[in-house]
Amino acid sequence: MGAFFTDPILLATVLGTNLPFLSMVAILIFTRSNPKLSCRISVGAIAFAAVCAVFLLAKLYSASPLQYQTLWLNSGRLNIAFGYYLDPLSLLMLTIVGVVSCLVQIYSLGYMAGDPGYSRYFAFQSLFAWAMMNMVIAGSMLQLFIFWEMVGLASYFLIGFYYEKWSASQAGKKAFVMNRVGDVGFFLGLIWLVIGFGNLGIPELNHAASTQGLPQNLLTVSALLIFCGVVGKSAQFPLLTWLPDAMEGPTPVSALLHSATMVAAGVYMFSRIFPFFAASPDAMAIALAIGTVTMLLSSTMAMVTYDLKQVWAYSTVSQLGMMVMALAAGGYFAGVYHLTTHAGFKALLFLCSGIFIHEFHTNDMRIIGKQGGRKLKIPMVCIAVGALALSGVYPFSGFFSKEAILGVLAAQPNKIWLAAGFFGAVLTAYYSFRLIFHILLPKGGVEGKPHDGHAESAHEHEDEHHGYIFWAMAIPVMILACVSLVLGFLEQPIEHFLLHAVQAHPVQHVSEHGGGGSDWLLIMGVSAGLFGIAVAWFEYGRKGASRNGFLSYFPAIWKLFDCRWFIDIFYRKSLDTFVYGGLTSLFTKNDRRVIDGGIDGICFFTEGSGRVFSFLQSGMLQYNLLIMVLAAGAAVLYFLI
Amino acid sequence: MNSLSTYLIISALLFSLGLLGILQRRNLIGMLIAVELLLNSANLNFMAFNRFLTPDPVVGQVIALFVMGLAAAEAAIGLSIILALYRKMHSINIERAQRLKG
Repeated sequence: MGAFFTDPILLATVLGTNLPFLSMVAILIFTRSNPKLSCRISVGAIAFAAVCAVFLLAKLYSASPLQYQTLWLNSGRLNIAFGYYLDPLSLLMLTIVGVVSCLVQIYSLGYMAGDPGYSRYFAFQSLFAWAMMNMVIAGSMLQLFIFWEMVGLASYFLIGFYYEKWSASQAGKKAFVMNRVGDVGFFLGLIWLVIGFGNLGIPELNHAASTQGLPQNLLTVSALLIFCGVVGKSAQFPLLTWLPDAMEGPTPVSALLHSATMVAAGVYMFSRIFPFFAASPDAMAIALAIGTVTMLLSSTMAMVTYDLKQVWAYSTVSQLGMMVMALAAGGYFAGVYHLTTHAGFKALLFLCSGIFIHEFHTNDMRIIGKQGGRKLKIPMVCIAVGALALSGVYPFSGFFSKEAILGVLAAQPNKIWLAAGFFGAVLTAYYSFRLIFHILLPKGGVEGKPHDGHAESAHEHEDEHHGYIFWAMAIPVMILACVSLVLGFLEQPIEHFLLHAVQAHPVQHVSEHGGGGSDWLLIMGVSAGLFGIAVAWFEYGRKGASRNGFLSYFPAIWKLFDCRWFIDIFYRKSLDTFVYGGLTSLFTKNDRRVIDGGIDGICFFTEGSGRVFSFLQSGMLQYNLLIMVLAAGAAVLYFLI
Repeated sequence: MNSLSTYLIISALLFSLGLLGILQRRNLIGMLIAVELLLNSANLNFMAFNRFLTPDPVVGQVIALFVMGLAAAEAAIGLSIILALYRKMHSINIERAQRLKG
């Protein structure tokens, strides 16, 4: 206990990461009926947590990985420790989570104002932040898994926040169930590791894997099973359809979900035990293929939707696919760096979209453009910054991380991955600028003067109130836009910071290129982004453009993309056929025939035998008594004589 | 006269009377009274044995008190059953209760 108070690092870790949980408890129990106080508690707690995270990052910037742990479970060969593991990766992620959650909560002050579930919203936001922060600094895989599930739970609450809306509660359920599918694999992988290795500590695991301490088959099987968890959480190929549906939650939730928490958890876990994955080439090859397929599929989906949030949702899926590709190709730094920059600009994009949606009460980018979306100067500039970063244009952060990823892919012997990466970059630039041009240069100019006048008068009507709400939303957005500008130039320090730790645990596969390796790659990367933007300009931006997109000439392909490659329909059909048609009907039959039939049979037998035996007696009480007395008398006589 | 056998004979007589009543009467209230007779004969037995055979004067009396309490409870339950039967069948004749055999 003494060490707890004298060690500022431990104190900051424990307090910073657990304060949001306390705030959730306080809100749910005490201040639910007082929204003003609730939001202050929640924002205060998360701001403190963000400060603690930054403090830890600064304090431990050049220190070696720090570990606090106690033995939690010890039985024979099985050792499970519980504690904190502070290495560069977890510190970086902790800072991202803390800062982004803090900004999102400040933004929510404006976005959610007047909502009946205001207190509940902040309680769940706190729960989300708490779970994610604790997952990031977990010292063992089991602890990580526990908080991983807490993150899933919190996201379920927040996606289904408008629970009175049918589609929202369905979306929450879908996210939860699809995550369970992946988590079953994750948990089986952990059990497999416990049986084979007996220790779930993250540093121990990485050390053993990188020094050939694990047999290859154990490693491959458990790596693939654990990768199932990544697939579920980070919405990779077979399980990618829950993330677009998760749009049913409030927009700040989507921002949080898509940038720093939830989906980032999958990629984070991948990089957390990167040396472990890297020791199994087969698992890495499968992960690379899955990442590529995910990236291309979801990019194509984003090309046809008109829903503002859905475009960014698909783009998140494709960027996650890109991170998985980078990690699976051996680019530890490239993957983590892209995770960092992506957290910044994706939160930015979602929060800007939230301002548009809040202002125009629609998700359709065409209507927003028509009603004068470009008049909102601050969000318009910020969303353009975010889209430029996403497309990988030079001074913005996305450029640097995308170059790093392409560099890693170029190092692969098979060039098909690199080609897929370029193709993905083109698609990304195309769909993000399709959206920008839709809002900035709407078809037939800005129309609807009466609409505008109406909005204007409403604007004046609640002027003071509106101003507070607008600035609560605009300030986080501007901060994030600055971050997206600056983060790219911090590549060298971050790389040094991260790889410093990797050298502490020798890793074999790391072959970093660092972006500046080859000039042609740089040119190709930039030109891929610019080419996508140019195509989008040709179709949506220039005067007299058709604004339909080239895909509208191929209705079949449009339909394919619009229906998300029929993945959902396939799931629905196979659920109906195999689960509801096969398994469930078998269970129903078992229930009806075997269990119900058995109980009915027993009842029937009891009743029938009762009927048979009732013939033996007359129902005359006194005859029975007489017989009884006579029998007793006979017994007395027998014993007496 | 003042000997154990006198009391035992009286008690046996009471018991026989009770047995006769319970076997012969068709009226449920009558049967209940006959049961009370049976219990009282047993009580008399306890008291007599206690008085003449055991040195400890309390045991038999305590048991007799218990039996009285039991008899009260039994009478309450019996009467309520009879009432319920009467409501159902408008009679307290035991032969009507034959319908209960199912």
